[in-house]
Amino acid sequence: TGGHTTEILRLLSCLSESYSPRHYVLADSDKMSEAKIHSFEQKRAETFSKSKFTLDRIPRSREVRQSWISSVVTTLSSILYSLPLTYKRKPDLILCNGPGTCVPVCLSAFLLGLLRIKRTIIVYVESICRVETLSLSGKILYYFSDYFIVQWPDLKKKYPKSIYLGRIV
Amino acid sequence: FRFKDSLAEDLQSADLVISHAGAGSCLETLEKGKPLIVVINDKLMDNHQLELAKQLHRDGYVLYCNCSTLVETLQSMDLSALKPFPPGQPEKFASFLDKVLGLQ
Repeated sequence: TGGHTTEILRLLSCLSESYSPRHYVLADSDKMSEAKIHSFEQKRAETFSKSKFTLDRIPRSREVRQSWISSVVTTLSSILYSLPLTYKRKPDLILCNGPGTCVPVCLSAFLLGLLRIKRTIIVYVESICRVETLSLSGKILYYFSDYFIVQWPDLKKKYPKSIYLGRIV
Repeated sequence: FRFKDSLAEDLQSADLVISHAGAGSCLETLEKGKPLIVVINDKLMDNHQLELAKQLHRDGYVLYCNCSTLVETLQSMDLSALKPFPPGQPEKFASFLDKVLGLQ
């Protein structure tokens, strides 16, 4: 969604063409991100002509401020969608930055890893908005990601397994 | 206007921006080098919006007030005391990722 998309596209901006093809996963209710992604990829294709990407949608796992209990239910139902999608794409790397949509995708990849079907490296970058506290996605994926990146030093102190590279968006 | 696809043009021609504490608004404004006053809505308080605004204020990049103190802030502000905002560095992220994935 919105801010997350802008941030993630900035994170992608300096990546080489080794990071290809790119598979974007969006929440079904997200109206604005698709345009931003197309615009980003179009520009990228100007430099890297063989650039490839796909776009998939899954049901939104959680509304803003949705209660904890109902969030568990909706996230589990999102996993029913994200699991076959993740199995189909079998990504080498998942890069995410916090929207609820990323939790079922990462958990699916984690599960496929446990089942020895595909080992995916999960890289989570917490949003620049998070200075002192982690988002709910962050709190969950802190335990499931291979690399957990924060953008402010206070978070590095609170979450010692995280990585601090400074502001990267 | 209610909603525009992009405020980039308006931002470019502005001398001062007064905005809510949304991260996108704050960062876009700061990156264009425009002085920014962030107004916190006490009633709609979304704590996580507040974290970034507070930090940007602590670091000296923005001025900060709420709806009731806005007029006073506008009257007494010293915009020259605001520090220039250094851009983020996505290249550091790219290097880091290349390194851990063995792509370098």
